[in-house]
Amino acid sequence: MIDELKKEIEGARRSFIHELESIQSPEQLAALKERCLSRKKGVVSQFLARLKGFVPAEKPLAGGAINQFKEFVETALAEAERTRGAAVAAKGEWLDPSLPASELPVGRFHLIADIQRQIEDIFLQLGYEIAAGPEVEREEYNFSKLNFPEHHPARDEQDTFFLEGHDDLLLRTHTSPMQVRYMLEHKPPLKIISPGKAFRKDDPDATHSPCFHQVEGLLVDRGIHFSHLKGTLEAFCRSFFGPDIVLRFRPGYFPFTEPSAEVDISCFMCGGDKADCRVCKGTGWLEILGSGMVHPQVLRNCGIDPEEYSGFAFGMGIERVAMLKYGVPDLRLLYENDLRLLGQFG
Amino acid sequence: MKINVEYLKRFAAFDLDDRALKDLLAGIGLETAETQSIGGETVLDLETTPNRPDWLSHYGIAREIAAKDARLRFTPMELSGVKLPPASDDFSIHIEDAADCRRYSGCIVRDLKVTESPPEVQRLLLSLGLRPINDIVDASNLVMMTCGQPLHIFDLERLQGAQVRVRRARKNETLRLLDERVVALDERHLLIADASRPLALAGIMGGLESGISAGTRHIFIESACFEPVVIRLGAHALGMKTDASYRFERGMDAEATLPALRMALLLLARSQGRALVPAFFQDVYPRPQLRPALRLEKDFPARLTGMEIPAAVCAAILGRLGFRLRDEGGHWLVTPPSHRVDAEYKEDLVEEIARIHGYDHLTGEMPLAANPVLRIDHERVTVQRLKHQLAGAGFNEVINYVFQSPEENLMADPQGSPLTLKNPLGRDFSVMKNSLLVGLLRNTAANANQGVERVALFEIGKAFGLEGRQVRESRRLAISACGLQQRKDWRQTGLDFDFAWFKSQLASLGRRLRLELAFRRDAQPLFSPSCSFAVEVNGRGLGRAGEIAPEPRRHFKLEKPVFAAELDLAALIAAVPESRFRLWNRYPATRRDFTFLMPMAVSYEELSAAVERLRPAVLESYELTDVFQGNAIPAGKVSFSLGCTYRARERTLTGEEVNAVHLEFVGRLAAQLGLIQR
Repeated sequence: MIDELKKEIEGARRSFIHELESIQSPEQLAALKERCLSRKKGVVSQFLARLKGFVPAEKPLAGGAINQFKEFVETALAEAERTRGAAVAAKGEWLDPSLPASELPVGRFHLIADIQRQIEDIFLQLGYEIAAGPEVEREEYNFSKLNFPEHHPARDEQDTFFLEGHDDLLLRTHTSPMQVRYMLEHKPPLKIISPGKAFRKDDPDATHSPCFHQVEGLLVDRGIHFSHLKGTLEAFCRSFFGPDIVLRFRPGYFPFTEPSAEVDISCFMCGGDKADCRVCKGTGWLEILGSGMVHPQVLRNCGIDPEEYSGFAFGMGIERVAMLKYGVPDLRLLYENDLRLLGQFG
Repeated sequence: MKINVEYLKRFAAFDLDDRALKDLLAGIGLETAETQSIGGETVLDLETTPNRPDWLSHYGIAREIAAKDARLRFTPMELSGVKLPPASDDFSIHIEDAADCRRYSGCIVRDLKVTESPPEVQRLLLSLGLRPINDIVDASNLVMMTCGQPLHIFDLERLQGAQVRVRRARKNETLRLLDERVVALDERHLLIADASRPLALAGIMGGLESGISAGTRHIFIESACFEPVVIRLGAHALGMKTDASYRFERGMDAEATLPALRMALLLLARSQGRALVPAFFQDVYPRPQLRPALRLEKDFPARLTGMEIPAAVCAAILGRLGFRLRDEGGHWLVTPPSHRVDAEYKEDLVEEIARIHGYDHLTGEMPLAANPVLRIDHERVTVQRLKHQLAGAGFNEVINYVFQSPEENLMADPQGSPLTLKNPLGRDFSVMKNSLLVGLLRNTAANANQGVERVALFEIGKAFGLEGRQVRESRRLAISACGLQQRKDWRQTGLDFDFAWFKSQLASLGRRLRLELAFRRDAQPLFSPSCSFAVEVNGRGLGRAGEIAPEPRRHFKLEKPVFAAELDLAALIAAVPESRFRLWNRYPATRRDFTFLMPMAVSYEELSAAVERLRPAVLESYELTDVFQGNAIPAGKVSFSLGCTYRARERTLTGEEVNAVHLEFVGRLAAQLGLIQR
């Protein structure tokens, strides 16, 4: 019984192919479709109606053969409709390719994460590695080894969150402890950046957040000097802000660098030409980085001989860079996670 | 630090307008925070750094200007005419522990009439933000603003026993301070006391009782150098910060006590209108301040900065800053001036040279450092892949604080013990979060409230916990979806998110990393009991997924269901298999369908487990092609269709072979699970 059915199906298949090839008009195509697939009298339905007559053991085989035939017919008809669609349309069927595209969902990266990625990419190209460290950090790495003596007023500048029941731990106030961790574990030459979250006990306002992001950089080798720091930061700033950016180094103070420098870039918006520039407030300069030569005591604290090696370190706040580059007026907006803001970036 | 520019010019006779002065100062590291014009005089508020206590005076700033401009000279006040008598034994100064006080100089002046300061002194003090009080108090303030040294002046008649003692407080001693506060003292506090009682908190604030009043006749002037850490800890313990403590905790120049005493006498002589000769003077200096000479190779400044600075220029700059140099051929021995508490390393000297020479001489140069062997950052690559996949599926990245409220931690894990902040910004930010999920719910609610219809979010961040005493932080990926999955328009219907969609997204996320994620029913906090899963790969736990339970949803006032997952990134990344070429099967596959009625009590999970158990060797894969429930289907049953793909590794299977295998397979499956073939 099953063999008989299969033979009939094969016959139907051949005749279908024959008819499809001889079709001249969309009407004929529609008629063929009706003949094959009509629920009531279609060829396929007629085959299916006969399934009842099969013994259970043969039922699946019969069903399978019919389904295979059905799929073949459907695919072939769909293909014919598509390839001859233009002809069909030309004969008056309505098809308007100027209809609007559907708005399919698109997700975006958070502005801070995206800026961080941009900064990482530039330094990766300059041959730096990314080193990530813990956010709950040892006091020793966050301060002592970075040449912040205990009870030194320099610690006041970084209002610190401490943890209940863990006197030796804190939330890192900068990403600089990663310098220490990396130097303790690796021998020069060292070239790393360390991006990530840092925390200071600041009430949130337009320019402060208790939780923020930094990128720290460190390079240690023989013969590294202050001009190398400037060259590196020039390369970065020109790549990130624009090729005409000029850097200004000003003396600064960080316990873990000596000499130290605050780094300003020329205003990428007005180039210093506009007294009412909203970005630089008419000063022509934007403060974006802290930097310096790694303090000899820090190198020594990390097992590196400062008589043999020297290095530089720098750090910048990602939120600040993001706000400057994209004109975001208030830091708090970056932590509200409002999709109307997030949708504009990344 | 407030600086009156006119007053400053007395100590360095510069001729610069305000703009040029501010630029000069900025060039050597002194930024101006604020510029005021007070009574026609310019007052600059300079930002100073904690390493430079010598900047906290007009002298300090004048020295810097004179060092920067070689044509200028620093000219301190002429004090040679002020005489201090030799010590006598009718009064005495005692330092109990030299570790607390390096030097204590003091003198007694008798027969004063407390009066007002001269108008120019009052104006000057006002311009510096200090309220004129009387000539004695004003003199001590003006000395501090001029040369940096904090003084304290006592009413001599309030002192008992003809002595002052520098000693630690004893437990249960108290002192009424100048601000009328009464403070309880203990061994942490350093005191100035007389023979029997505390008089003042050394280096922080004087006592009310021994202070200067209108009737004061005789005074004792203190000019001392206290140990920075002692002052800092003492002030912190009382939550105090005064002009004096601010300076002492940064380190004052022990050599400055006598000039400061002389300056006070000079100022008082002016206001009192007569020459003043102290009736008593003593200088106790048990621990002389040493500034060890630093060895500086002559080529080191150029080596460390990359700037070409001739040795003669280096020597001249250091000389102008008050450093003494001894030329030893290839190097100098450099002795810092007494007021430079910060000069400890030869690198400090290089900063001085570079700073005064000018950072604008720096020319950028790329370092030709030996590149370390670069490690390919597989973790970063993997995370980027996940992020792109998620963004492609319409999820938006968010970033939240790492701290949240204790209640929010409990929602995500009612059992765990939280890592708590000792000094949080508030209760809402007082524990380190143990999961990213609650943050996502908060963000979802905030956006839904703003009328955003499709809120699909993800966050990558740390979660924190305690294992015994150990702090554990783990990097997580959290994902959530709420609201509209697909917006209705002319070509597509509107659809809300459902768990099947969400689960499919998670599965593709896994497949992006060539991982087959498994979802094992498991009750998890935050999730509905009926839709809560442990996510696993190769039997190892990665995290949780499911539909958020009604209770947290109500808490965040979310109307529509929320689907969420949180995975441990390290575990996910560790599970990623290495790619290896494998030849795909080139023999044709044969497909057979199997449609059946399944009792509702049987879950797909059980069905697929049974398929795995009975799996014929040549069953390559199977998929659920249809699930149907409706009028035509008997009650208590669901119609399922499985599409089965058969293929052998080494040859083409014949139709008959496949039929035989398929029939036997579906027969056994039906028998085991009570399926009815259709």
